[in-house]
Amino acid sequence: MLFNATTFRTLSNPRHLKRSVLLGLKSLWMRKLRSLLTALGIVFGVSSVIAMLSIGEGASYEAQLQIKQLGSQNVIIRSVKPPETNAATETETTYIAEYGLTVSDLNQIRDTVPGISIVVPARSIRNFVWHYARNAECDIMGTVPWFPEMRNLPLTAGRFFSDIEMRNRVNVCVLSDSAAQELFPLESPVGKTVRLEGTYLRVIGITSDSPQLDADSNIGNSSSTTDTADQDQNHQLLMPLSTMLERFGDIIFQRSAGGYSWEKVELHEVVVKCDDPDAVVANANAIRHILESNHKEPDYEIIVPIELLRQAERTKQIFNIVLGSIAAISLIVGGIGIMNIMLANVTERTREIGVRRALGAKRADIIFQFLVETVILSGAGGIIGVALGLAIPFLVSQVAGMTTIVGIGAPILAFTISVLTGIIFGIYPAKRAADLNPVEALRHE
Amino acid sequence: MSKETPIISLQNVRKTYRMGDAVVNALDGITLDIMPGEYVAIMGASGCGKSTLLNLLGCLDQPSEGEYLLGGQNVSHLEDDLLSKTRGKKLGFIFQSYNLIQQLTVLENIEVPLYYQGLPPHESREIAVRLATQVGLGERLDHRPNELSGGQQQRVAIARSLANDPIVILADEATGNLDSKSGEEILGIFEELNRLGKTLIFVTHDPAMADRVSRVIRLHDGQVVEDRPGGLKQKRKSPEPAPAEAIPNS
Repeated sequence: MLFNATTFRTLSNPRHLKRSVLLGLKSLWMRKLRSLLTALGIVFGVSSVIAMLSIGEGASYEAQLQIKQLGSQNVIIRSVKPPETNAATETETTYIAEYGLTVSDLNQIRDTVPGISIVVPARSIRNFVWHYARNAECDIMGTVPWFPEMRNLPLTAGRFFSDIEMRNRVNVCVLSDSAAQELFPLESPVGKTVRLEGTYLRVIGITSDSPQLDADSNIGNSSSTTDTADQDQNHQLLMPLSTMLERFGDIIFQRSAGGYSWEKVELHEVVVKCDDPDAVVANANAIRHILESNHKEPDYEIIVPIELLRQAERTKQIFNIVLGSIAAISLIVGGIGIMNIMLANVTERTREIGVRRALGAKRADIIFQFLVETVILSGAGGIIGVALGLAIPFLVSQVAGMTTIVGIGAPILAFTISVLTGIIFGIYPAKRAADLNPVEALRHE
Repeated sequence: MSKETPIISLQNVRKTYRMGDAVVNALDGITLDIMPGEYVAIMGASGCGKSTLLNLLGCLDQPSEGEYLLGGQNVSHLEDDLLSKTRGKKLGFIFQSYNLIQQLTVLENIEVPLYYQGLPPHESREIAVRLATQVGLGERLDHRPNELSGGQQQRVAIARSLANDPIVILADEATGNLDSKSGEEILGIFEELNRLGKTLIFVTHDPAMADRVSRVIRLHDGQVVEDRPGGLKQKRKSPEPAPAEAIPNS
């Protein structure tokens, strides 16, 4: 019997506990270096758990924030240039690639899919925007006045263009923050003009930079017209769709390697907002059916942010499982280290155990003594580990600028587990110490 | 031989060990009574069973056969925890190599048996200080064992063995590691303790000890081959009833 009534009586007596803790500290202090090295296993286990958890939490929070900015009730449909056929390459200089979403697609979606409130169509090209001698390569996007509301895109200065400006095809535009800084490093751009090819546009507002998503996730900035464009800049210029269609038409001329190409795309992007958050996925499927029947080739893609969000949550779950396994392994390794050292301690102190037994110590007393020592060791390791684990995310966010989120749960959990590790891996050495035959223990050299 | 209850009573005690196929009789039917206040030397060549007998008397081991009554209580078939309790309450141990706990001070070492008896710290501290002073270590209460000479360490061990006021003190070659001067001091303390009424059992192979004790028991091949009075003149003869305070906890 490992834990009988005596053990619990011993444990519940605060005087015994205090004496045992003092004794444990003395014994550990006698072997300072060994105790320190043993505790290091737990220190690294605990600190890596906390650090990884907070960095992972931060990354996942950022990803979810970006997806949420796309709007959880939205379905985003984009034009995608289909893979080029042989016919196209043979006549590349004169071929006009005609693909993508059309206004009639849009009308059909609006008429047939129920529960759709707002539809935001947008066209997007990539070109240089000029302000005197300064220029910036921007995504030029023609859209509708309710675009910011749909995309959770807050304005930082000025205003967005209105219905009247849309209807009258006024030459106005809204710059993203980064584009504004590139073009107007010293002054406020609101009220100034910028040049886009031959057209001058008045800047009426600034938006914050829209989220830059991973290029891999297919929801990067809408630069379907230029595949080679510099992706890490996210300069954006927003203008009324009507103005854009009038000034630039629906055919895009582009210089590419080996010749020119023309593309005819009516709409690059359509955002559909669903009234019922639960119907988003169903509506997305309905839209997919409409587009499948209208388009021979898959020259569009449908992005459902809420699905991405769910995917991100699943990814996070997997991440947590992986992390949990790593944490468990590192703590097991630390625990084995502790067990190893405690077994060595028991062997080294066999004589002491024999003497204590001769002087009246019960087996429970010996078990308790060694368990307390192990728990002190792992607990101290846990405390240092928590301190280190809190310092690492802080340094990471200071140095690398990454978002890290330190919850209250992770340190408490890690510390608790480290103490539990001490108890679990301390039981065997303690029991071995208690099971020593007093006669043989006293004879031990 | 007397109406008085012996403090230790062994009846036909055997202890057998199995070594491979052979069965070794370490103790082969020992019957003996030790009266309160006696100072007994257990002698014999090595391998005669005196260590085994000491372990049995010290409740560190149990007989294979026979009965052992300690202070009137049969301890031959006690379970482990009760054996620990008996050791802690009724017995004091003194070892050849002192066996002090290195990480503890003189006072803390003396307090160890009291700690396992569950005495409150202030009481055990009081007892430890008194005993340390009695054995002449009043100046070194906070020293570690490795800062003391062998004789001083053995005096700490004696103080420790007295801490729980035992009915019997078992000494195993207590002077074996000491020079003759320190050994003499320790034996002086033992004689003093005996004069105060303590029952002492001294295991030794030193024939000279026979003159310093009140009774000599000689073992050979696990049997008592000689049991005679020793050279120590006692004020009281052993059959006389011992004063009540000499047998606490009985």
